[in-house]
Amino acid sequence: MNHLDAVNQISEYLENQLGLATQAEMEAHFTTCAECREMAEGVREVMELCQAAEPLQPSPWLISKIIQATTGQRQPSWWERLLGSIRPVLQPRVVYGISMAVFSISFILHAANVNIRSLTLRDLNPGTWAYRANSKGHLLVARAEKYYYDLRVVYEIQNRLRELRNDQDEPKPETPKKASPGGAQGRSRNGSTELAEIPGFNRFSTRMSAADVLSMWSKRSLPR
Amino acid sequence: MEQDLELVKRCLAGENSAWEALLRAHTSKVYNLCYRFTGSSTHAEDLTQEVFIKIYQTLKSFDAAQGAFTTWLSRITRNHLVDHYRRTKKDRVTDSIEDKVERVEERPSASLDPLAELESREVRELLQAALALLSPDMREAVILRDLQELDYQEITQVLGVPEGTVKSRINRGRLELARIIKRMKGMKG
Ligand SMILES: [Zn+2]
Repeated sequence: MNHLDAVNQISEYLENQLGLATQAEMEAHFTTCAECREMAEGVREVMELCQAAEPLQPSPWLISKIIQATTGQRQPSWWERLLGSIRPVLQPRVVYGISMAVFSISFILHAANVNIRSLTLRDLNPGTWAYRANSKGHLLVARAEKYYYDLRVVYEIQNRLRELRNDQDEPKPETPKKASPGGAQGRSRNGSTELAEIPGFNRFSTRMSAADVLSMWSKRSLPR
Repeated sequence: MEQDLELVKRCLAGENSAWEALLRAHTSKVYNLCYRFTGSSTHAEDLTQEVFIKIYQTLKSFDAAQGAFTTWLSRITRNHLVDHYRRTKKDRVTDSIEDKVERVEERPSASLDPLAELESREVRELLQAALALLSPDMREAVILRDLQELDYQEITQVLGVPEGTVKSRINRGRLELARIIKRMKGMKG
């Protein structure tokens, strides 16, 4: 077998498509021709490379696109199918019912102070829920009360500051007035009570006795 | 094969579900043939769609006596690819082997998976870049034989050329591919 014949039959040789006699002739040629040996090795690599190449996948919506382009029918996408399968569940009445149930349950769990992530045996007892909800209610009332008294304290302090400003504007001797809830004497004319703007601010600490402050705070009967 | 014939008959009777089944069975194969020929997934999808539109329009001309449905499908795909190649020929004149190697290297191999994924990706890109450098005659013969795994007889039917020509193109194509890949590997280091 000459070199050219061998080159032309390398693929068929590697695919075992030649007769036994020709196959043997090829092998005999390979023992004497390094070039053919190298070429056969290259072709074998190519064939292996092709075999190793996995088939590629088109995008999942390609078939739907083709169906639409051919039959004119629009194929529902996978999420449309999914939506279709749960559509009966999505009736307004059902959705409203579900959301109300979720809201109620979360409200009860919150009121009963139940942490879903770390449930204890006590959390499963409705008695515990009632007890916790009750104490939580008390706590809420207490907080609202505290807020109210805090507002009152701020109001008192503001009143004192206004008085100080009035003192500065009308310099005449006066006695510090007792804090009285709702007492609105000596409102500043412009209503501004910025501490730094008040000339008599430095006297504030001496004018406002410790007893005044204590009397104000004593009115805060806070259940903690 | 029997199944394809049955589906074709039902398609011709106007059954849309049969057409969908036919598509599900063969879209991937056509897409792969298109991808191997063009090297672009976008082009491959467009071409696949065009091929199936053609199939849909000419389904009644399919003659089971002339060969299997898959052979007919491959022939129509191949002819469409040849048309596409002729239409876009001027775009590829400047392609050179150096460009191809650069493109293979440029692409970031941002694989989440380790070595295996990287290797298969590299193999795929190397093969694709090398295929693109073959002449269309050799490329289609190699793709049909080594990637679509058609036998010589089927390729003869698809390409409409004698079996001797098919064998010769496949052999020359593989030899050329081997040379290109060797050069690419050499250039990559
Ligand atoms: Zn030789």
